[in-house]
Amino acid sequence: MLIDTNVNLGSWPFTFAPNRTAAQLTKHLAGSGINHAIVSHFGAAFQPDPMPSNRELLAATQKSSALTPLPVINLRLANWRDQLAECVTAKATAVKLLPANNNYSLRDKVVGEFMTALSETKLNLVINMRYEDERHRYFALDIKGLPLADVKLFLKRNPKVHVLLAGIMIPEVRELAKKSKNFSIDISYCEWINSVEDLVKLLSAKRIMLGTCTPLLSTRGEVDKLRFSKITKKAMEQISSTNAQKFFNLQ
Amino acid sequence: MRIIDVHTHPVFFTKGRKKSELQKLVTHGKSHGVERMIVLGDVLQYGGTPDAEQLRLINDETGNIQKMFPHYFVGFCYLNPNLGEKAVMEEVSRCVTNYNAKGIKLEIANNASQPCMRHVAKACREFNIPVLQHSWSNSNFRPGMENHSDPDDTARFARRNPDVKIIMAHLVGIGYRGVIAAKGLDNIYVDISGAFPEDGLIEYAVEHLGSDHVLYGTDIPIRQSAVKIGAVLGAKLTNADRQKIFFDNTAQLLNLN
Repeated sequence: MLIDTNVNLGSWPFTFAPNRTAAQLTKHLAGSGINHAIVSHFGAAFQPDPMPSNRELLAATQKSSALTPLPVINLRLANWRDQLAECVTAKATAVKLLPANNNYSLRDKVVGEFMTALSETKLNLVINMRYEDERHRYFALDIKGLPLADVKLFLKRNPKVHVLLAGIMIPEVRELAKKSKNFSIDISYCEWINSVEDLVKLLSAKRIMLGTCTPLLSTRGEVDKLRFSKITKKAMEQISSTNAQKFFNLQ
Repeated sequence: MRIIDVHTHPVFFTKGRKKSELQKLVTHGKSHGVERMIVLGDVLQYGGTPDAEQLRLINDETGNIQKMFPHYFVGFCYLNPNLGEKAVMEEVSRCVTNYNAKGIKLEIANNASQPCMRHVAKACREFNIPVLQHSWSNSNFRPGMENHSDPDDTARFARRNPDVKIIMAHLVGIGYRGVIAAKGLDNIYVDISGAFPEDGLIEYAVEHLGSDHVLYGTDIPIRQSAVKIGAVLGAKLTNADRQKIFFDNTAQLLNLN
């Protein structure tokens, strides 16, 4: 069983990344052995209001047993409480923040208010570190990765919340791991010769999940990063599926 | 499928020198079906502009790695073209004679469009070997990175020297613009090493350059064989194209069996 925690519908500007339907996406993921995916919509990163894209996402995934929606809350907008309430009503199991794309900082006061509101729901939290590597993104899309110092501070301020950090890089994991344990990661932007083995030593397999950042990165390449890693069978199961099942309350 | 990795750094910032570590890398490669690795040297251990003595130390290490595992590692000769024609020719001659170097490696000592590249072209002709040029799109360059060769710079070098075979490194780094810069230049090959595996780029390179001009490479240890191999296997290509990328093109270019 392979569960991919970092998949997207919608289109990404300045690339030829395919804008797939839910059915096309499911088929594409199955081609790399992925049985289930946690899916967001790129529209939430670019459009002035994330809810049209979130609604499109919720509708598209409602008919699919292979896709679980991960809507985005944009805290830069005054109606973020309404966004959150709509996600609760839609029975989402987690929500995602895109501070870098949505033009706010994890240090902002609103983030504290959001965390209080979130604690009153059963929703888990995913924070996106990046969608693209700054070193080879398109020149016209100048969005930097999330500042690590902000993430550090966020984890310190919210010690009882366990977040999933999507699109984090290995040096950032090393730095965060020195002081914080209240985070898990996906492996999409972690790469070194033996990345998964190194991450297991650093964090333990309990805090690592498969993530491919489809359709921006090669789905097969990211899956094979995990598939060919030399880790225990138990660790492989944790990273492949059981950690995601627990975090996203999948049946 | 048979695989040759055209872009590796077994020793990276002085780490990985021990025979046991190299043996581990050989085992790692073979477990992924990689039959040979091209060793480009620990190119940045002395910074971006090494002097002649530093180059000799780096190239001797490459040669020794090759001597330890002669059936696995193949060395390239690392150069700093700014040192002039005499230094370039002497070092290439030394690497070819002593270590049977199969190519030249260039990093960031200079930009590929600069006049000092004529020494490199001369060495390539005289010793009948290709040159692998680190290349990266300058769209995101920061100040101080002027000596990183943009794909347009590497393409300019290729146009000036149509009889010299050039490997433009780092497909994702050069991006779509790099593929377009290399298009129509028969003496350019693009390797897929380095960077995260941006989906769709390998297909784009094959569509515009032909599968004869795309080479498999990783940039190990910075990158991972499973990811790069998976990116090729996951790309919408024929198996014949994949075989060329994984093995045939590099074997032919470097005259390897």
